[in-house]
Amino acid sequence: MGTAFFELRGISKYFAKVIANKDVSFSIQRGEVLALLGENGAGKSTIMKILYGLYKADEGELLKDGKEIKIDSPKEAMELGISMIQQHFSLVPAHTVTENIILGNVKGVIDYKLFREEIKRLAELYGFELNPNDYIRDLAVGVQQKVEILKALYQKTNLLIMDEPTAVLTPQEAENLMGFVRDFTAQGNSVIFITHKLKEVMSVADRIIVMRAGRVYGDIKRAETNELELSKLMIGRDLNWVTKDDRQESLDQEVRLEIQHVTVQEKTGVPALKDISLTLHKGEILGIAGVSGNGQQELCEIVCGAILPTKGRVLLDGEDITERKIRARIDLGIGYVPADRSSDGMIMDMSIAENMLLKSSYDKKWQKRGFIDKEKLNQYALQEIRDYSIKAPSPETIARGLSGGNQQKVVLAREVGNGEKVIVFDQPTRGLDLGAVNHIHQVILKERAKGKSVLLVSTELAEIFALSDRIAILYKGEIQGVFKSAELTTEKIGLLMAGFRKGEVSNHAG
Amino acid sequence: MIYLLSVTIMMGTPLLFGALAEVIAERTGMMVTAIEGIFLMGAWAGFVGGYLSGSLTVGFLAAMLAGLLVAGLYGWICIYLNQHQVVTGVAINLLVVGLCSFLHRVIFGVPITPLTVNPLATIPIPLLSKIPLLGEILFNQNILTYIIYLLAPFSYFMLYRTSIGLTIRSAGENPEAVDVAGINVLKVRFLAVLLAGVMGGVAGAFYSIGFLGMFTTNIIGGRGWIAFAICFLGNWNPKGAVIGTLAFGFAEAIAIYMQSIGNSALFPNELFIALPYIMTIVLTISRKSFSVPAKLGVPYLKEN
Repeated sequence: MGTAFFELRGISKYFAKVIANKDVSFSIQRGEVLALLGENGAGKSTIMKILYGLYKADEGELLKDGKEIKIDSPKEAMELGISMIQQHFSLVPAHTVTENIILGNVKGVIDYKLFREEIKRLAELYGFELNPNDYIRDLAVGVQQKVEILKALYQKTNLLIMDEPTAVLTPQEAENLMGFVRDFTAQGNSVIFITHKLKEVMSVADRIIVMRAGRVYGDIKRAETNELELSKLMIGRDLNWVTKDDRQESLDQEVRLEIQHVTVQEKTGVPALKDISLTLHKGEILGIAGVSGNGQQELCEIVCGAILPTKGRVLLDGEDITERKIRARIDLGIGYVPADRSSDGMIMDMSIAENMLLKSSYDKKWQKRGFIDKEKLNQYALQEIRDYSIKAPSPETIARGLSGGNQQKVVLAREVGNGEKVIVFDQPTRGLDLGAVNHIHQVILKERAKGKSVLLVSTELAEIFALSDRIAILYKGEIQGVFKSAELTTEKIGLLMAGFRKGEVSNHAG
Repeated sequence: MIYLLSVTIMMGTPLLFGALAEVIAERTGMMVTAIEGIFLMGAWAGFVGGYLSGSLTVGFLAAMLAGLLVAGLYGWICIYLNQHQVVTGVAINLLVVGLCSFLHRVIFGVPITPLTVNPLATIPIPLLSKIPLLGEILFNQNILTYIIYLLAPFSYFMLYRTSIGLTIRSAGENPEAVDVAGINVLKVRFLAVLLAGVMGGVAGAFYSIGFLGMFTTNIIGGRGWIAFAICFLGNWNPKGAVIGTLAFGFAEAIAIYMQSIGNSALFPNELFIALPYIMTIVLTISRKSFSVPAKLGVPYLKEN
């Protein structure tokens, strides 16, 4: 093997004394697919942002073809042939495909016609179906990703960095992406992709860099390793995963929550939910699978009362609660863990105890002579901190200072307390490390065992399969089908998520 | 009627200067809430420059510089010190009111008769001004009006057909995208605010030395805010700004006309003076769709 295409040597990066990366060294060859594997917060994105010039390294050096280089801005990275697709796409939704691709790559007066044709040609070359005149806001996430890739190709990239590229894709779209990666590298280009999914790594990477706590813990050829070894390197210890064997069959067939023919009309006229009917039994976990943005949030909000259906009814224990307000539903025992905890789940600048109080502040149990009984609240919060093993010094700790996993546990503790009958979990483990994910899964199963009903929305199929008794698939606001979890395979569910119907799938996937 | 329309165009000139400045800046995500202060500072500096030098050109240059400085202060506080745009703007507007009256007093004392300069003369354009109706309305104006005839289409062209425009529009919609494309977001925003300051300064000076020929501290009287509102009503688009400006200019022309003929029989003159303000409120709440820049008013913080 000759000189490496790009090389990182002893890179360290600190954010106000917190170590983000420590002494990270690895290289990438031409034509190679490198996977950067690690849990959330392992420093994968940070190290790549350093290579892309978004962050500045505090120590260490970068080399290209054996010569030292300086990369102080994305512009300099691009000039060296490096492009990076961020996890959250950096596209302008209000602009067209063309405008997004040429942003930063044009000078002076823009000849739109010329650029449109150029982009069309480039898209055809790689077999992307794209209309250069489409507005980004009208495109599905998978297509938006193609725009990002095209943007990189337009800049004549030789090294393409992708941060969690498959997180938003259906399994089929992910497969297409991997196909592109193979084609692209076959032409002598290199790809680094950041991921925490072992399966992907094993299917496409040539070499794997495993990161943990900001350091490199492994630099292995794919052919010389297996998923088990990688997961151990990644986590640093063994985890007791919840498996299907741990669970008993749900016996109770008593209906708890019923959603009957619910339609939610958006202001724009497009229905977010179309004639949805679902039944949730006592002691059951109903998983809602689907690519995000297909009506999951609306479904959750219908149940917890944040939005009202345009048509249809919601029943709890046979009682019509369609018109009930959020507060009434909290009192009825409906808990809701929203997908975005920082904007919908908690107030970051308040303490843990205050966050615990948020949804029941009016409750008499917290009051003493008309004021909040601080002592009682703190006692309660302290108990919850212990029960949920939240890593925080005291109930007075400000929520912002906690790690994502611990913040989520605070929300979880509150909602599990509120939700005496039904708990809605919207992406409860998104962005958390495996330890926290495991803990949250245990909590969900424990509540199920108590006879509570759980609505679990997740885009992680592994999570859906591990926990759900039954699985419903949402696509463009419609239910594609409801299945016992044993009836489904990843492939089958993937097709359903991509819009195929129950009947059609058996023909395709069997 | 011809007179009214002619005044509409004239009174619309500074409003359009301000509105276009606001459109460009807001497209990068910067609400220039200091626009009222920029107008006032421009009016004052324009008058001082023009009065002391005897040249209106010097006056306008001074106004541009003054607008630039006020905008610079605003931009520095909002963009580089990450302070709230509305709060900062309000503070600066108050500061400018105090500063202008203070400096005016320091320089001129308390004159018994108001100090005046000769305002901008109208320059009839040969041939064009002889066109019936239109000539009188459009081509018998002062130099600034002619400049705005060019500036309005130019700013539209700049925003929608050039790379600078694309960068400006992207900075207000998704600054991360601009950053990742290797362009300095803060610089783009700061430069846009400075440009708005220069244009706003000229607009302010129009009131003092372009039209009245004198300066008082309440000379702007909320017209900066009107320019701010026109940007909003014009849907952050120069075309819309032109339409909005004509509406407000017409309302102002009526007020001036009624005042000049002293007719208060039918409607109180105050009604016409208040008309632009009432229009702002009515149009603001009656609008349905906006293409407001997604990150308008949101500071761009880069973690690092």
